[in-house]
Amino acid sequence: MQFIRRHQLAIVLVALVAFGLIVALVRYWAGIGAISNLSDAYPWGLWISFDLLCGVALASGAFTTAFAVHIFQLDRFRPVLRPAILTGFLGYVMVIVALLVDLGRPERIWHMIIFWNPHSVMFEVGWCVMLYTAVLALEFSPLVFERLRWRAPLAIIHRLTIVLVILGTLLSTLHQSSLGSLFLAMPRQVHPLWFSAFLPLYFFLTAIAVGPAMVILESSISSRVLHRGLETDVIGGLARAIPFALGAYLAIKIVDLTLANKWAAAFRDGMSALFWIEIIFGVIAPMLLFARSSVRHNPSRLLIGASLVIAGIVLNRFNVSLIGWTRPNEGWYVPHLLEFAITFGIVSAGVVAYGLVAKFLPLFADEPAPAPSPAE
Amino acid sequence: MSRYAMLIDETRCTGCRACQVACKQWNDLPGEQTRNRGTYTNPPALSAKTWSMIEFNEIETGDKVGFYFLKRGCMHCEHPACASVCLVGALHKTPDGPVVYDDSKCIGCRYCMSACPFGIPTFDWDRGLLNNALIRKCEFCVDRVSNGLIPACAKSCPSRVIAFGEREQLIAQAEARIEKNPNKYIKHIYGKDEVGGTSMLYLSSVPFDQLGLPALGTTPVTALSEQVMEYTVPFALAWGATLAGVAAVVRFRNRGKRIVENEKSET
Amino acid sequence: MTNDWVDLKNADVIFIIGANPASNHPASFSWINDTREHGAKLIVVDPAYTRSAATADVYAPIRPGTDIVFLGALINYAIQNKLYHEEYIKAYTNALTLISPDFKGPADLDGLFSGFDAEKKSYDTTTWKYQSEKVKDAAGNDISVPKQAVALDEPNTVFSILKKHYARYTPALVERICGTPQEKFLQVAKIFCATGAADKSGTILYAMGQTQHTVGTQNVRIMAMLQLLLGNIGIPGGGVNALRGESNVQGSTDFALLYQDLPGYLGAPTDRHPDFKTFAAKFDTTSYWINGPRFVVNLLKAWYGDAAKPENNYAYDYLPKTSGNYSWIPLFQAMGAGKIKGLFCMGMNPAVSGPNSRMERQSLANLDWLVVMDLFETETASFWRAPGTDPKNIQTEVFLLPALDAMEKVGSIVTSGRRIQWRPRVSAGPGEAQTDIWILDRLAQAIKKIYHGSPETRDLPIRDLTWFYGEGTDPDPEIVAREINGYALDDVKDASGAVILAKGALLPAFATIASAANYDAIACGNWLYAGYFAPADDGRGIWRPAARRRGQKDPGNLGLFPYWGFTWPANRHILYNRASARPDGSPWVENKKLIWWDAAQKKWTGYDVPDFVATKAPDAKAVIGGAGLAAQTGTDAFLMKADGKGWLFAPTGLSEGPLPEHYEPIESPVTNCLSGCNTNPVVKIWATNQDKPIGDKLGLCEQFPVICTTFRLGEHWQAGAMSRTLPWLAEIQPELFVMLGKDLAAARGITNGARAKIISARGEISAVAIVTARMKPLVIDGKQVHMVRIPWHWGWAGLATGDCVNDLTHHVGDANTMIPEYKAFLVDVRKT
Ligand SMILES: Nc1nc2c(c(=O)[nH]1)N[C@H]1C(S)=C(S)[C@@H](COP(=O)(O)OP(=O)(O)OC[C@H]3O[C@@H](n4cnc5c(=O)[nH]c(N)nc54)[C@H](O)[C@@H]3O)O[C@H]1N2
Ligand SMILES: Nc1nc2c(c(=O)[nH]1)N[C@H]1C(S)=C(S)[C@@H](COP(=O)(O)OP(=O)(O)OC[C@H]3O[C@@H](n4cnc5c(=O)[nH]c(N)nc54)[C@H](O)[C@@H]3O)O[C@H]1N2
Ligand code: SF4
Ligand code: SF4
Ligand code: SF4
Ligand code: SF4
Ligand code: SF4
Ligand SMILES: [Mo]
Repeated sequence: MQFIRRHQLAIVLVALVAFGLIVALVRYWAGIGAISNLSDAYPWGLWISFDLLCGVALASGAFTTAFAVHIFQLDRFRPVLRPAILTGFLGYVMVIVALLVDLGRPERIWHMIIFWNPHSVMFEVGWCVMLYTAVLALEFSPLVFERLRWRAPLAIIHRLTIVLVILGTLLSTLHQSSLGSLFLAMPRQVHPLWFSAFLPLYFFLTAIAVGPAMVILESSISSRVLHRGLETDVIGGLARAIPFALGAYLAIKIVDLTLANKWAAAFRDGMSALFWIEIIFGVIAPMLLFARSSVRHNPSRLLIGASLVIAGIVLNRFNVSLIGWTRPNEGWYVPHLLEFAITFGIVSAGVVAYGLVAKFLPLFADEPAPAPSPAE
Repeated sequence: MSRYAMLIDETRCTGCRACQVACKQWNDLPGEQTRNRGTYTNPPALSAKTWSMIEFNEIETGDKVGFYFLKRGCMHCEHPACASVCLVGALHKTPDGPVVYDDSKCIGCRYCMSACPFGIPTFDWDRGLLNNALIRKCEFCVDRVSNGLIPACAKSCPSRVIAFGEREQLIAQAEARIEKNPNKYIKHIYGKDEVGGTSMLYLSSVPFDQLGLPALGTTPVTALSEQVMEYTVPFALAWGATLAGVAAVVRFRNRGKRIVENEKSET
Repeated sequence: MTNDWVDLKNADVIFIIGANPASNHPASFSWINDTREHGAKLIVVDPAYTRSAATADVYAPIRPGTDIVFLGALINYAIQNKLYHEEYIKAYTNALTLISPDFKGPADLDGLFSGFDAEKKSYDTTTWKYQSEKVKDAAGNDISVPKQAVALDEPNTVFSILKKHYARYTPALVERICGTPQEKFLQVAKIFCATGAADKSGTILYAMGQTQHTVGTQNVRIMAMLQLLLGNIGIPGGGVNALRGESNVQGSTDFALLYQDLPGYLGAPTDRHPDFKTFAAKFDTTSYWINGPRFVVNLLKAWYGDAAKPENNYAYDYLPKTSGNYSWIPLFQAMGAGKIKGLFCMGMNPAVSGPNSRMERQSLANLDWLVVMDLFETETASFWRAPGTDPKNIQTEVFLLPALDAMEKVGSIVTSGRRIQWRPRVSAGPGEAQTDIWILDRLAQAIKKIYHGSPETRDLPIRDLTWFYGEGTDPDPEIVAREINGYALDDVKDASGAVILAKGALLPAFATIASAANYDAIACGNWLYAGYFAPADDGRGIWRPAARRRGQKDPGNLGLFPYWGFTWPANRHILYNRASARPDGSPWVENKKLIWWDAAQKKWTGYDVPDFVATKAPDAKAVIGGAGLAAQTGTDAFLMKADGKGWLFAPTGLSEGPLPEHYEPIESPVTNCLSGCNTNPVVKIWATNQDKPIGDKLGLCEQFPVICTTFRLGEHWQAGAMSRTLPWLAEIQPELFVMLGKDLAAARGITNGARAKIISARGEISAVAIVTARMKPLVIDGKQVHMVRIPWHWGWAGLATGDCVNDLTHHVGDANTMIPEYKAFLVDVRKT
């Protein structure tokens, strides 16, 4: 029974991947316009808002968890580290795949390595994402090496771990915030309620908040689908960080809006409503929820709280980059169904990959304790 | 400050669109399939196939009607957002004024399109991998200007709306015109200071926002993002050091703890 | 144009009435804008707020077909407020001339002039004549000359008649008939009539908004009268300026495009001129036209060479004598009636451009054969597969000869300012296309071959025709140019026997013709063009054919550019320029000085070529009984007029009277509130096939309450073949549209961008509705009337296709020229 359900899920996922591939082929043959509603008025759409902005933010579980485990050496989070890194790694790979669809000239993606423009935030984002994906790949590689029983490389990686994690954290800090900085160049396009010199900080803080939330979500789902136990206390512990990050975010936002004298915009139109939804459901509610230990110790409440954080961030990224984003020229954008096909295809591929890793690699094996000395 | 600019005196414009067609002719751009949507403005917007166009604005105030024309196209900003944000440096401002595009570098991220405060760069949405999809916009006829010719649009304008020349001189000329006909002109040269100044300068008899030119401040829109980028390396160094420091301190402390623990267990 | 395009920069007021140069003559705006930067004012009077109106200082709306009321009221305003240029009109116009006391005008005769024959729908013009008096010439013979008054207001002077006639044209009447709010009219009047001052000049620009009416000729007349009254003719920045149409229409009219003419406006022989004597007698003898017969001889020498000799009246008999009206409408009526069997259509597209085009296409179907010489397969060439036509039912054999475009061939083009410019070929043509003269040359040679050696007298006109335009296959345009310019067939001598032009030399100017004793030794294809291809200085000492010059020197800085090309006549840029100086020969004002009398040198000097004998002193007296210009005084500024005067009153020449009077368009939503004479009384109305689905039908306002006027777009060219085939132009104006005001749209439930039907008594078309505040309903005589405006460039061929707007228009034309009334007719609009 369970098998059939899993089997069915796999079929659906693979079908979605296949469909996405076909759509991508059409895009490569006939141009982005053939499969999307992107236009000169809306050059960025679903893929940038969701696949890139949300994708990167939602993959932040990797760096936050790695930070907790390796830098703060909070060993109790070790059980969720590998899945978090896998989620992060897959997330970044998905981002890159999405970019390969979204970029006008995907075959030139490597240009960013040789042509430099240090004024460009995107330049920084590009490099960070590239390097960080490499870092994640390395952080993830022990699973492969363990499986293959390649001891030498494993040993090297273990030695390097702390360096990798520091580097990863640094890179993540940089590009998580830079994704916000991307929009600093658009004071007129981004809605006043969201435009701020603090955009990079906002993006960073919300990324920190959503990291644990993603780990919670991912653990909850995988525990159900893959029938393993849920490390409730572990993820509950992670959740402790969320109110701090969101609290900082909220406090700065309030001061910011007050100083910039923008509160009027918060009581005007549909965008104001979205703003409040974002703040109340995406920030205040999870803060209150996760502040309570009863929530932190209850799997389904944890899941609810995490979902709110995630939804809040997704909404935030959309508000900044799409919904509240206006153009000097007229035009309106609703994603084309085939754009969703790409996004679903990529997400499905990620899920399938996760499943395969879980099946074939020691994903839920505990991350070994820090560098065992040869003497042991 | 760039050397060349164009002064577009919209009070002289008759909306004849010679400039629009000349731009296509010089740049070998195809005609678009259009339909009449109840206005003369056509094609509906700038596109990869249309780099410059006239927008027709009918403005009613009371029972008075105004019929105004705006030549829309790249402003060739002094601090071009498009060039500032382009990660591979495919766009850049030449000292002569034109903001030009190196199509061999572009990766098609379309950040330039998103960032341009005037919504100018456009993309070849209908071109696939084999068809050289690129960003397109007015390049100030850099191929003409660098060969001593004036831009095609300026050349073709029968009413001499578009003056091409040294930016400083054109500003002086614009100021002189405003002074001479104070009742005719809005007392403002659009583009002189907007977003840090542009190479396209406009004069008008109606407020510029009614004409369709956005009210933008005088700071370049990329001021903040460029500042952030300047802080990035120092910040990264500092943050990297901090992280390493934190890791070291934690390790140091934890090592102590572990030794104690190990000792405990050994005993 | 009496003046030139660049001269617009000298105007203090530019008055555009019945034209939309921003769209149709866009380059004019460079000069209009320039002069406005120096404070000049721009006025636009048009039914719609056009692109020209968009930049104007004053815009006044007007109902189509009512310009005479507007302009008449301006005349009245100028007279009432004494803004006319008194010294000017006394010296240079016929204001002081006395008219027959029997003359009666519309004020007395309810809209008619004296002499109307209701049966024939025409006038006996006896009562319109000048009073004359007898004076003795040197030989003691009685000579009758026009009688002049001393004061303007004496009874029967032209001025007093004018004053009385236009006293009826009040601002209130303007509001009532034209729908122009009084204060708008007064605003225009104040600004424009101020140019009556000696130091101000105002120019009037007009085009089809004035001419395409049943009163088109009178519309043009009244503008000229207003300008004479304000002293605006002959001066820089003044004039009555027809913004001409097709790129070389000025050239083609100069070459007798119209059936009533011979090249150089010599008039075509009619059945009233059976022999050369009667024909020669039609030219005035007290004006420059005294040379008319000589010009005709030169023309015949050009055509027939040696076969034109004194014995056969220079082959005058070879010329056909017209016996009727051969203008557009009658020609198509004749095709429809089967009287014309074949049509050679060179560079026109009547299937789209002709009035009541459905009916005209039916006429084409009546032809045995049709040859179309064009750049494209036009609607005319493809009329047999027009939408709704079954090719099986059409027997006409159609030939399409591909022609080369102006850019693809060498030759001259004449601008509205009469400036002739020789142009090189700048592009190779496509496929088998050939120049028009190549095609015509082939045709002529083939025809001549057929008639070669024919003994029949009636074949002589073809047999004797000189035809040599180059060796080999390709005719040489320069040989044509030389023939037009004129050259000496033999040594040309003056009265003293001195050779003034050696055999074979090119004619330097038409003055040579006037002074030649043996003028028949000259062949000249068009006297007006004499000298245009003769070598001339380009201002830098470089001599080349005048029309080829590109000298940029501009003495006086008035924009005359005398070394650029050649401006007919005699490289004169502003016509009637004697009037630019005071009667005593000094300039009116320094900043408008053009030519002036140099007493020391005893000749006229200045920046332009004087429009009369350059050595004639300002105080020269007329020679009583003198011939030609000798009969005119030193202040007679209008050398082509028998009395040397500008005519405020036209004793001859116009079908409907000496003074323009308002009549309603043939189809009008209101009746004439000025007189009982509703429409132009001398207009010809056909009524062919009235009972058939396609025919000459007039609509009534009950059924068709909306006024329709057709217009042009900057983006398209005419019947559309030249623009709807180009992707860039098809792109910017892709579809036929109808412009209508918000009120009318609301009343009919039509929304912006939706499709609408437009229906007239002749046909029905469909178009996209542009609902715009630029069109407003007018209140006419207390009644609200709506207007719509439709550009007429569409047809079924090309890239941008649409219905033919002329399916709506009627076969009715001006009483003098027969130009169709495209600018005012009745329709209804409906939602589709
Ligand atoms: N781009 C372009 N240029 C052209 C042409 C073209 O097809 N396309 N055609 C060429 C030719 S052949 C010609 S003849 C000229 C014609 O040039 P225009 O005469 O300027 O052309 P239209 O647009 O037909 O009419 C001019 C204006 O007259 C107005 N009008 C209509 N009825 C009346 C009236 O009763 N009184 C007054 N005061 N105004 C009225 C119309 O609203 C219109 O704005 O243009 C020439 N130039
Ligand atoms: N309703 C309405 N109808 C109108 C008017 C209006 O205002 N309203 N205006 C009228 C006026 S003013 C005019 S002038 C007429 C114009 O009516 P047409 O003269 O019938 O119109 P065009 O489209 O100018 O036709 C000229 C043709 O000549 C061709 N051609 C161009 N150059 C050459 C060449 O060098 N050689 C040859 N052989 N062919 C060439 C072009 O391709 C084109 O098909 O239309 C009239 N019709
Ligand atoms: S207008 Fe836009 S595209 Fe043009 S230079 Fe400025 S930022 Fe760049
Ligand atoms: S689309 Fe091309 S030009 Fe524009 S920012 Fe990206 S790489 Fe630069
Ligand atoms: S400068 Fe050149 S490219 Fe730019 S709008 Fe003008 S014609 Fe087009
Ligand atoms: S060519 Fe000149 S007058 Fe015509 S639309 Fe362009 S700017 Fe205006
Ligand atoms: S003649 Fe040619 S250049 Fe002159 S206004 Fe017409 S289209 Fe323009
Ligand atoms: Mo015309």
